Amino acid sequence: MTLWQNYLRPKTVAEAVDALVHAPGPALPIAGGTDLLLDLKQGRHAPVHTLIDLTFIPEMTLLELRGDELFIGAAVPVNRIALDPLTGRHAQALAEACNLIAGPQVRNTATLGGNVAHALPAADGTIALTALEAQAEVAGVSGTRRMPFTSLFLGPGKSALDKSAELIVGFYLPKTGKGQASCFKRIMRPQGVALPILNCAVWLEREKDIVKDVHIAVGPGGATPFRATEAENTLHGQSFNSETLTRTLESLLGQAQFRTSARRASADYRRHIVGGLFMNVIETAWKRAE
Amino acid sequence: MKTTAQNLFDLSVTVNGTRYEQAVEPRTLLSDFLRHELGLTGTHVGCEHGVCGACTVLLNGESVRSCLMFAVQAHGREITTVEGLGTIEKLHPIQEAFHEAHGLQCGFCTPGILTTVVPFLEQNPHPSEEEIREAISGNVCRCTGYQHIVDAIKLASDRMNK
Amino acid sequence: MSNSSVGQSLPRPDALGKVTGQTRFSGDLSRPGMLHMKILFADRPHARVKHVETGNAQAAPGVMAVFTARDVPVNEYGLQIPDQPVLCGPGSDKPNTDIVRCMADQIAVVVARTESEAEHAVKMIEVDYEDLPVLTDPLQAMKTDAPILHPDRGDSNICVHYKIHKGDMDAGFKSADVIVEGEYHTPVQEHAYLQPEAGLAYLDEEGRITVEAGGQWTNADQSGISHALGMPDDRVRVIYPAIGGAFGGREDLSVQIVLALAVWKLQQPVKIIWSRRESIVGHGKRHPITIRAKWGATRDGRLVAAENELIGDAGAYMYTSNKVLGNAAITSSGPYFIPNFKTDVYGVYTNQLPSAAFRGFGAPQALFMAELQMNKLAEKLGMDPAEFRLNNALQDGLTMNVGTPAPGPVSIIQCIHAARERFQWNKYRRRRTKPHIRRGRGFAAGFKNVGFSFGYQENCWAKVEIHGDGDIERVIVHHAGAEVGQGTHTVMRQVAAQVIDYPAEKIQLHTSDSATQGNPGSASASRMTFMAGNAIKGAAEAALAKWKTEERPAIAEYKYLAPRTTPFDKETGHSTPNFSYAYVAQAVEVEVDIETGQVRVLRVVSADDVGKAINPDLVVAQIEGAIVQAHGYAVVEDYRTENGRVLTDQLSTYLIPTIRDIPEKVDSVLVEVPDPNGPWGARGLGELPFLPLAPAIAAAIHDATGVWIDEIPFTPERVLRALGRIR
Repeated sequence: MTLWQNYLRPKTVAEAVDALVHAPGPALPIAGGTDLLLDLKQGRHAPVHTLIDLTFIPEMTLLELRGDELFIGAAVPVNRIALDPLTGRHAQALAEACNLIAGPQVRNTATLGGNVAHALPAADGTIALTALEAQAEVAGVSGTRRMPFTSLFLGPGKSALDKSAELIVGFYLPKTGKGQASCFKRIMRPQGVALPILNCAVWLEREKDIVKDVHIAVGPGGATPFRATEAENTLHGQSFNSETLTRTLESLLGQAQFRTSARRASADYRRHIVGGLFMNVIETAWKRAE
Repeated sequence: MKTTAQNLFDLSVTVNGTRYEQAVEPRTLLSDFLRHELGLTGTHVGCEHGVCGACTVLLNGESVRSCLMFAVQAHGREITTVEGLGTIEKLHPIQEAFHEAHGLQCGFCTPGILTTVVPFLEQNPHPSEEEIREAISGNVCRCTGYQHIVDAIKLASDRMNK
Repeated sequence: MSNSSVGQSLPRPDALGKVTGQTRFSGDLSRPGMLHMKILFADRPHARVKHVETGNAQAAPGVMAVFTARDVPVNEYGLQIPDQPVLCGPGSDKPNTDIVRCMADQIAVVVARTESEAEHAVKMIEVDYEDLPVLTDPLQAMKTDAPILHPDRGDSNICVHYKIHKGDMDAGFKSADVIVEGEYHTPVQEHAYLQPEAGLAYLDEEGRITVEAGGQWTNADQSGISHALGMPDDRVRVIYPAIGGAFGGREDLSVQIVLALAVWKLQQPVKIIWSRRESIVGHGKRHPITIRAKWGATRDGRLVAAENELIGDAGAYMYTSNKVLGNAAITSSGPYFIPNFKTDVYGVYTNQLPSAAFRGFGAPQALFMAELQMNKLAEKLGMDPAEFRLNNALQDGLTMNVGTPAPGPVSIIQCIHAARERFQWNKYRRRRTKPHIRRGRGFAAGFKNVGFSFGYQENCWAKVEIHGDGDIERVIVHHAGAEVGQGTHTVMRQVAAQVIDYPAEKIQLHTSDSATQGNPGSASASRMTFMAGNAIKGAAEAALAKWKTEERPAIAEYKYLAPRTTPFDKETGHSTPNFSYAYVAQAVEVEVDIETGQVRVLRVVSADDVGKAINPDLVVAQIEGAIVQAHGYAVVEDYRTENGRVLTDQLSTYLIPTIRDIPEKVDSVLVEVPDPNGPWGARGLGELPFLPLAPAIAAAIHDATGVWIDEIPFTPERVLRALGRIR
């Protein structure tokens, strides 16, 4: 059995793209490798010739403020994202999500880039990035480009990324301004290592009792990361009270497409519990935005 | 690091303070490298899925799953396994506490718990019980019911702070 | 006594190796020239194997040999009945060994120079199957027109049927003021010991086929292997390295016979390590049982009649189903005196994975029913559930459902009192926190035999050596009892130390080698402290007597024989099935989130009569471990299959409790009512704390929410369905 034959450690993004494009066989970037390795081992992944380790590219392991934005390199371990004060300040939902991914040891190596490249629509990090309206920086032969984070997803496990020529360099998140806050929570059975039954992230901006702007993401609510846009429209510009929240939840339930996963939860169950989770998340975010 | 003719990699890695220069197949898992190439069988493989935590080792001082890493990813880095924590003659305080306070039964999960706890107590010398529970939430034990493990960690932290 | 050891919480002798990584489990062993084995499992649950094409695999790089059914001299094995082929396929003398009956069946083994070569080659074996109808439901499989899975074992798939009948059922129910009827379902549970099966086999210095693989009973492994190889027992040697948990799941053979076969044929060391998936698919599980029950009591709270029917899924092979279900029959009354009693217990072959021994051995299932029946009756009578139990508790001299009194002293009353007091049951106040959080308390009790039952002459061998001249310089204990993590080696040392008055930590143990030791019996049935304790006590006393008569070295062997038992009468079940029982009572508090359906167990009080705690800290550790495993059974673990295939075949899909998923507090109360035959009065403990937890939690959920949930596990969805909140 030949899993792969070549292993490279580029020092720059350009070198990595070059390696990706010019590998003599199928090539794949690897950072923590925690998801990828399972796929390779279990034969769920097409044969790979060259693995390109991204964790030695300084650019991709940065977490810093750049102007009005927070930049998080795609190869930053999620544990660092969870603990870094910058994330806590500007992307609290993401910090909360990263603090719940897998277990402590996996968080020391797993990365957001890997999580996103895997294209699971309901991964904790993905749901948080969706609500935070992240942008992804993608590098290819002709240089780097920015795209809305959610446009990376085509379907469950299907990424819009051209994996033979592109890689995710990192993510840009708008800094949190006055009256803005976010929150992420999830429901597990049991807690710990497995995939969540349901997760939810909310970003909002408040002005006194009015919801000036709101982003709501719920997983798994569809084949790609689900933004509850109809619920957002319902709540937009409204005052924050139980009546508008009830209507918001109704919109959410009208739009979300919950499904039954054989080993985890039924659609009916998800539909039932999403209300409590959503209320909990949005109320927390609301209080934080005070 | 470079590829040799048979697609082997010249891996250079420090394990428990000893530097190893060894040609490995690129697909070798870190756990297999430690167990089969170096004979460090204290690192156990319980699920191959990153769930159980029995394979936990320290990579540059941080706990990681060795079943979810290729050996080559450790190139140029430092690994500590349970064998590197202490010996029967000279136990690490955490090992001593697990021995005294019955922090184990079958012992298969123990090395992974010890390697998880070492950096945890370094970073957090006075943990609360809640923090201890969070720290070992990625390690599965089927025998003890966890309470004696928590008690052993408390004992270790008390001792190390003296 | 200066070296008093019994009753002390001494450290474990095995802990030093385990904390330093020096301990060798079977997967850690290696030998020069070692080859590697990979097993081809059946890929369907029921089929006739028409042909196994091994040519390509044999020609693959590094392959030394491929073995199939035709290579196995006596192609059968099984702890109770040899009804399973070692390898399924054509070419055996024994008829029907070409039939695959479950996914755990093995078709062929490849031996190669490296593990990856073996893995590569095993995929090149081609198997031609003729599919047969798949039976997944025991209720269907027991019908007369169902296809027969074991034609050579009669014309029915019912492989076990026990009847217990005492008194007059009609008169009993007529005298009842309240009657509770119910149907209960208990699930499969996977042992999920942390160490997957593995083994190394080789020829020892005397040319014996030697297998080093974790098990629970050296001699049983040895005779299972020698039977299949058609050899006398003394040609086979079984040694136990460290064993990474067992819980009953290592009683039946897994890798041992095929390893021995390969070594015998190739005369070279051979090793195998199962993956987690192979482990989950490859070994037996806890019996799922469907139970119907009808119990009656008088207005003043006396049980007058109980009638039960238990239908257990035995899976594809017998394993220990006949014993597990016998034990379910005995425990189906709960630890209560019921004057009129009837139970029918069936075991049925299906194409599911075999059901096997698992901590509790039939009692958790039967007690789930019995204890919920008790709680429901108490509710109907408006009585306190603990009080109602005390009213009906077994006592010395009262007959059990099998028509004979339990060997005394019967201590269930002490356990109920102890659990009630520690929990402060009578002072309980329900706290309200949030509107959607409901709290409640629940009570349940249980009992379990210690040691083998039903007429088997229980026995256990030990040898003790005392060396020295004037003073004792060295004490060696020989015992083959399996240390599976429970701490039996620690107990063995303490027992010898106590008798000889010698420091326990200096006692040397020679453990688990069938070539040098007599029969220890299995590390199961909560029997090891009782049986090995008595055996080592006897051997140590005899060696000490010799020492005192100046014999040097003073060496004595001893075989402990437990009091006799008798099998069930075929029609009434009348018997003295066991020589010792242990008793337990538990009180729990839970919190139910009626929005999410999640159940949190806040507190468990477990009062276990251990007779005498030889090592109190290890006893508490056993209680904590058993309760968390039982909590997994009751709340967390959710085994799923589809048409005989396991869906939850990894630890990422079959979730077992992490520290985040367990009761918040486990409070152990050690009750010590000595058993007259136990060493220093000790009874068995390993299974006991597991028994009442599921029904206690169910009762607490009812107390919190008003609904009874008669099916395990209490998953959020099941809770919400019971509450009528989802479909």
